[in-house]
Amino acid sequence: MTLEGQRLVCTYGPTRALDGVDLVAGGGEIVAVVGPNGAGKTTLLRALSGERRPDRGEVLLDGSPVSGADPGWRGRVGLVSHRTGLYRKLTVAENLTFFASVHAVPEPRSAVARALDTIGAAALADTRVEALSRGQSQRVALARTLLHDPDILFLDEPFTGLDPSAAAALESTLRARRAAGSIIVLVTHDLRRCQGLADRVVVLQRGHKVHDGETGAADAVDLLRFFSPTPADPS
Amino acid sequence: MNELRRAWLITLKDLRLEFRTGGRLLSMIAFVVLAGFLFAFALDQTAVAGRDVAAALTWLVILFASTAGAGRIFDPEEEEGAFRHLLLTPVSRPAIFLGKTAANLAVIWLVTALTFLSLTAFLDVRDQGSPAAHAAVLLPGTIGLAATGTFFGRMSRHSSLGDTLLPVLTFPLLVPVIFFGATSTARVFLERPWPEISGSVRLLWAFAVGSVFIGAALFRHVSDE
Amino acid sequence: MSTRGRITGLALVTTGVATILLVHWMVAFWVPNEASQGVVQRIFYIHVPAAWTTFLAVGIVAVASAVYLWLEDERADAAAVAAAEGALVFGAIMLITGPLWARVAWNTYWQWDPRLTLTLILWFTYLGYFLVRGSVVDPRRGKRFAAVVAVVGSLNIPLIHVSVEWFRSIHPEPTVLKPDGPTLPSDMLATLLTSLAGFTLLFLGLFTFRYAVERLRRRRPAVVSGETDEALT
Repeated sequence: MTLEGQRLVCTYGPTRALDGVDLVAGGGEIVAVVGPNGAGKTTLLRALSGERRPDRGEVLLDGSPVSGADPGWRGRVGLVSHRTGLYRKLTVAENLTFFASVHAVPEPRSAVARALDTIGAAALADTRVEALSRGQSQRVALARTLLHDPDILFLDEPFTGLDPSAAAALESTLRARRAAGSIIVLVTHDLRRCQGLADRVVVLQRGHKVHDGETGAADAVDLLRFFSPTPADPS
Repeated sequence: MNELRRAWLITLKDLRLEFRTGGRLLSMIAFVVLAGFLFAFALDQTAVAGRDVAAALTWLVILFASTAGAGRIFDPEEEEGAFRHLLLTPVSRPAIFLGKTAANLAVIWLVTALTFLSLTAFLDVRDQGSPAAHAAVLLPGTIGLAATGTFFGRMSRHSSLGDTLLPVLTFPLLVPVIFFGATSTARVFLERPWPEISGSVRLLWAFAVGSVFIGAALFRHVSDE
Repeated sequence: MSTRGRITGLALVTTGVATILLVHWMVAFWVPNEASQGVVQRIFYIHVPAAWTTFLAVGIVAVASAVYLWLEDERADAAAVAAAEGALVFGAIMLITGPLWARVAWNTYWQWDPRLTLTLILWFTYLGYFLVRGSVVDPRRGKRFAAVVAVVGSLNIPLIHVSVEWFRSIHPEPTVLKPDGPTLPSDMLATLLTSLAGFTLLFLGLFTFRYAVERLRRRRPAVVSGETDEALT
């Protein structure tokens, strides 16, 4: 299973957020997309997930084009972003049941119970999301993303604001998914996090791909140099 | 069938959020009651009989309340970015539109009932005509309002003008609803025979069905990126 | 701008303006007074062609917008914008000349007449068209929203028409396009047709220019990057 973005161009009016970016992500591989703010990371992720149709270029899964307009494709995709994507006034169980039912997961209630057990949050089932801590709600968000067992995962700055234990839980989930053969694309500006986790790092700068390679100690120095001219992201 | 079930799930979820949050609902309710109250003050009821203006005022109050509410329909979807995730599920865009329109419609019905009660009470309308006939006029009219509001409510989310854009976009479209709605309701108040009303009601249904279908067909253009 | 576009636009605008100047001469010195309304009826030669041009423009916007929603072709959007500006401008001419004439002819500035009401509503729809376009942060989305507004606005025309038909109309019935031939005296008809031609040519010329400018604006070199990502999504 291979996901491939070909010559992707995305423009916002006169601004070109992506200017012909190629990216290949294979099954059982975590590809990290890093770069300074405004490099086009999130836009690349949205183009790959089908949320934004690129102005030019194509996204292919095993050679055949995919589109966000295809419900079959959307049923295979999971997304985790720095926003939880949950309804604050609904309880944890209501949120998960809603998404499971919309995904047409068989027996949504038991699927939700299993998912809550997996993240060790069965006790939180009847708590409203607004009452959860950042780490707790991000765990619930992750459980929601995995409910329909997606084999293609997109993560958009998932580590933002996570406490160490929640971050560790996320990392171990990603490793398990990688072992199961999923395609995982991770967007982050946290280079250090990628070093231990990602198999490959893609560096974007001003809408162009400036680096694409296996993660290794030698690369780290080079990669950090890419970031040094740009002031660090305050968030 | 599957898509209708998904639409229904969205309706239930929206109504649950609506009643749990309460803010949008409460402010719409307060608006219609206060509007009825203010109209009673503003009208010189020795010169104009309440029954003569009740129909027009009812429709205008419902229009203003539903337009004000439409700007907030997508608030719970955006608080934590849930709409992005909903769009990434296999649910079809027409199903999202239908589900949200149905929830909006339920809220508008509540508001409509209160508008009717507050205006007839404050304007002292004694002979109110047949409740069934009123419902038969209000039903298609409110469907049109709900569908239009849901559709353009999504559009105004992306505009820097926000809610101020909504009336500019929806009022010109809703001219037929207000016209046929208010004339029919006025005739129901006057207890005119149904054949004098049924023509307008058919046109209200035409708008209702048209707005639901067109909204469902075009919703992907306003929902997706 | 391509040379061909420039020449076409220039030729259309020049002939259009020249024809409209000729129309003004005809209206002022050549055409006879209409029997019942007298001199004020002469505004008819401006009002009717402006109305015709507005509806021509509205038709172009509706078709181009539907095509844009269907194919997302930039050319369709450029055509829609160019025509929508025409609709707004010529619509304003129609809406200003109408009440001026009505004040004398009907003794009132505004009458709830089907055609008047319909054009006023359409004019507001086009105001909404430009407000949406200009106020949406992501330009691609803005174009799509504007196209939706134009399409929905056009689909609503029949219902608006029926609803305003319910008021008794005092607007003059069509005098040119009728099954049994025009009833207008021939010199008046000649003036009107000249004016129709002039307005149409002027509109098509402006449309050609505006379309070319819009195409050029989109072809200018892209600024790469900036504060995109989250700010725009």
